[in-house]
Order: sequence, then structure tokens, then C-alpha cells
Amino acid sequence: MKVIAVIPAYFEGSRIARVITDVKAFVDEVVVVDDGSTDISSETARQAGANVFRHAVNRGQGAALRTGTEAALKLGADIIVHLDADGQHDPATIPQLVKEIEGGAEVVFGSRFMGAEAIGMPVFRKYVLVLAKTFNRLALGISPRVTDPQSGYRAMTAKAAKQIDFRQDRMAHCSEILRLVTHSDLKWKEIPTTVRYTEDTLAKGQKATDAFKIVWQLILGAFQR
Amino acid sequence: MIIQFLLTLIAIAGFALVWRRASQGVLSRIESLSWSVLWIAGVIVVWLPEVASRLARFVGVGRGVDVITYLVLAFVCILLFQAFLAIDRLERKLTDLVRADALRDLEKKG
Repeated sequence: MKVIAVIPAYFEGSRIARVITDVKAFVDEVVVVDDGSTDISSETARQAGANVFRHAVNRGQGAALRTGTEAALKLGADIIVHLDADGQHDPATIPQLVKEIEGGAEVVFGSRFMGAEAIGMPVFRKYVLVLAKTFNRLALGISPRVTDPQSGYRAMTAKAAKQIDFRQDRMAHCSEILRLVTHSDLKWKEIPTTVRYTEDTLAKGQKATDAFKIVWQLILGAFQR
Repeated sequence: MIIQFLLTLIAIAGFALVWRRASQGVLSRIESLSWSVLWIAGVIVVWLPEVASRLARFVGVGRGVDVITYLVLAFVCILLFQAFLAIDRLERKLTDLVRADALRDLEKKG
């Protein structure tokens, strides 16, 4: 089984090399999508051994993930793993995600709320995620069995990757993917995962107030196509 | 009186523009008809303001001008949302283009 990790990156020149090196130990290939950065993200990622694809202009994390997923499929991936470029996702969880896929699951989500400790998560964010879970259930009809409403750490089979037609370019892609997967006939599962928040990741990552933008993006998305 | 003539002229210009755009294929038949109804309703209210007052009494709003204000506000909100949707559609097309460009080398190799 060929496992390819897909990492969207935007101005990650200072930390992408370490993430790629750590991830490479657990996968066959790493695909990095540089989402229009004008720093050294692309060069650094290439030197670290990743297959780099570049967006000419910034299109958002969801768009970069989809580009990376399509690239991974073309590169012959059997299993695709999505993770962040800032090092908050522990690559040591990849073998467990892959093991679940090999055991019959088609999509596996890493969850921050199944016992594994989320290191350094701000308390306010925890409350926002509880609200997000309620919103997902009531507005999007996402199964209450899903414990993490905004998990960006996931693995999927090539078949599932072709089936999940996510179109949200920016932050709403997590909720969209959850909705598409839990409303499909795909076999999905969540496993506990450790997420490490640092001053660095919190400074650049999502803000709690981004929840409003996500809701707005989902409303607009509901009227498309 | 002057304002009534001015508003009527604007409505006639709007009406003409709608059907010109319709003949160019920019507006669909339903869109053209909706806009036409709107312009005609505007002219009716300009010349027969008691129609708006009657409507206001019917829906329980104090004055005719208030009901017109609420309707215009609702209409502007709908238009604004349509504009957001159009921008979102353009953004998605832009993403498709950017993605095709990013994957071009891979397509060539494949």
C-alpha cells in the first residue's frame, strides 16, 4: 500500500523541513502544496524531499488540500494522509491511521477529544469546538458520534478521496469533509490523536472568531452547484 | 410633482435596460419579468401613494413609506447575498484554474 502524506503550506519556510523529515519516516512520499507563499516554503520543502506543487496565488487550506489530494491520486497513492504544516499533528499517529484503513475503514479522523491529551489547547477554543460540534449536528446533520468537529488530521483510501468532492477552499473544508463522509456509504472511524499547540502554531493557526467565517462559508457553499 | 416625474423617468430607464439586457441574453426571462414587475410597482407607488398606505395598513406597518423602506431593505439584502454568491462562484473557478496550473507538470509526466 502506497501511503502519501499531503501537507498544505503557507509561509511555512521556517518549520516545514522538520515536519517533512518527521512525516517521511511513516509514509512512502510527501506532497506539499505551497499555497502561494512568497517565502522559501517551496524550496525548503523540495530540499527536504517532498514533491512540491505550487498555487500561483493563495487559495486557502481547503483548496491546497484538494490540490494535494489530486496530486497524490495521480502519483498512485493507495492511502492519503492529510496533516498540517505547523507540526501540531504528531506524525507518530500515522501508522495507527494506516492500520485502521488496512483494517477496513475507508476514512479515519484523528480526534482531539477521545482521551489523548491536546497539549496547550486554549480553554476558549475548547468551548468554541463544543459549539462547533453542536452546529455540525444541527445545521449540517453530522453524526453526534463525531467527537472532533474540526479535525484536520485524517487518512483515507484512494477510493474515498475520489468520492469526497470537497469544494470549500478555506477553513470550512473540515466540516464539509465530515458532512460528506458521514452522509456517504464510506466506512469511517475516529481515533485519538495528540495535537500540540505552541505559541507559534496558535499565532498563525485558526482563531476562535474564525468560527463565524466558517459558518458564513458553509452558508454560501450550501447555495452553490 | 417634479420628483414623481424624475422617479418615473428612472423607472422607464430601468425597465428599458432590463429588456435590453434580456435581449442580449444577460438576464433570463424570469429575472427580466421580476425586474419589470418591480419597476412597474415602483411607478404605481410613485403616482398612487395610497396603494402603499393600504398595503401598510394591511400588514400592520404604520405608514406607506415604512413598508416601502422595509421592502427595499429586504430587496437590497437579497441582492447583496446574490453578489456574495457570485463572488464565491468566481472564487471557485479561480481555484480550479490555480489548481490546474499547479498540477500541469504532473499531467505532462502522466
